[in-house]
Amino acid sequence: MPLYFSEREIVLPGQLLSDDSKRSGEGTYVLGSRVYASTLGFATVKNDKVCVIPFKGAYNPQPGDKVIGIVIDVKPNGFEVSLGRHLTATIRIPDKKEVQALNLKVGEVIYAFVKESGLRGVFLEGGEKIKKITSGLLVSMHPSKIPRLIGRRGSMINMIKKETGCDMIVGRNGLIVIRGPSPTNEFAAVSAIKLVEKEAHSQGLTERVENLIKSILGGGVESEE
Amino acid sequence: MKNEKLKLISEEGIRIDGRKLEELRPLRIEIGVLDKSDGSAYVELGKTKIFAAVFGPREVHPKHLALPDRAILNCRYHMTSFSVDERKPLGMTRREIELSKVIREALESVVFLEEFPRTSIDVYVEVIQADGGTRTAGLTAASLALAEAGIPMADLVAAVAVGKVEGHLVLDLCDIEDKYGEADMPIAMAPRLNSIVLLQLNGRLTKEEFRKALELAKKGIMEIYQKQRDALRKKYSEVSLMEV
Repeated sequence: MPLYFSEREIVLPGQLLSDDSKRSGEGTYVLGSRVYASTLGFATVKNDKVCVIPFKGAYNPQPGDKVIGIVIDVKPNGFEVSLGRHLTATIRIPDKKEVQALNLKVGEVIYAFVKESGLRGVFLEGGEKIKKITSGLLVSMHPSKIPRLIGRRGSMINMIKKETGCDMIVGRNGLIVIRGPSPTNEFAAVSAIKLVEKEAHSQGLTERVENLIKSILGGGVESEE
Repeated sequence: MKNEKLKLISEEGIRIDGRKLEELRPLRIEIGVLDKSDGSAYVELGKTKIFAAVFGPREVHPKHLALPDRAILNCRYHMTSFSVDERKPLGMTRREIELSKVIREALESVVFLEEFPRTSIDVYVEVIQADGGTRTAGLTAASLALAEAGIPMADLVAAVAVGKVEGHLVLDLCDIEDKYGEADMPIAMAPRLNSIVLLQLNGRLTKEEFRKALELAKKGIMEIYQKQRDALRKKYSEVSLMEV
């Protein structure tokens, strides 16, 4: 079956991708027996399915994703957690004692796994998989830019962690917690994140982020002298 | 001088703004012009200048309007008070409310709303300067803003007006032609799906004229559609070099 695009070609909504309706993957739709792109992005083939990797767009939770959420409601059988933007997730715990044992209050920040996501809403894994985040700086970023922040095999995030000396927890939903040795270091990490968000699609970004962090931290030392 | 009737089309078939009968006004499209929005576009069609911004999918307010199986699409077509010769009062007029509705319905037919249950997608179309064809240019801009926001849709929407001026069928009417002409017919299409998503007609056309006008509009729409695609591709052309 022929494909009507070259690998990593930019495709637009409505663009014909394939004649084989069985190969319709993410970011595509089927009309008649043909596959068309539904979002703006790169066309690619994943597991023999035609997919479009979007440039932008809402975060679509997938089972297994690690997310950061803010507890917005405590119920007898679980919690309601805001994942930022329009998303609200539920944690269902059948045992009341377990709910109390977690000792979560409204406004507290947690790190959790997505268990299920569909028409009925988003559900997070309960029990021991929930980690409470007690301190740090909570920053948000556009969810579609998170893969860029992490970089190929974590290259970007590891560089930021190393250069700023901050500990960072990244949620796939666009929330990030930063814990650093000093406010200056934390500020450098936040600036780096903002730069990644702004220039996610440009080349040589890792280098520029590195320079930015160095200039901020270097500047900080100078002003103290 | 005053009693002389305004001549909209010269003997040689040149229109009042120097165009041929079947010629579009110069079209300029820019994508991603507003920072705070999820997607935005700017469309300039002759003297008509329009911004469109998309927010969402986001939480629905008030909450009871949310639908359990799909998103709701909100659309606001608004003309700034300085967009026309005589100051337009602030607030939505009857005309603006109606145009918001027809633009919303045109977009609803291409956007996959069922992908975002219980949310709303808000589209704002703001007319900065009006010189005829604002609803069509607004739709062109709104569909680009939706595409840039990464919202799944079956196709882009391109729109143009056709009309009858002094007995001639003309493409893309400007304000004067709209006011003094015999008929004005805005048409929006999803070109890839080959479906008409908006069609209004003000004035009278014979059956034959209608058929010809539709053909003419299709031609104009394909031209606009091509420019829409070029604009989107251009915006992201550097991205293709990157590994995301």
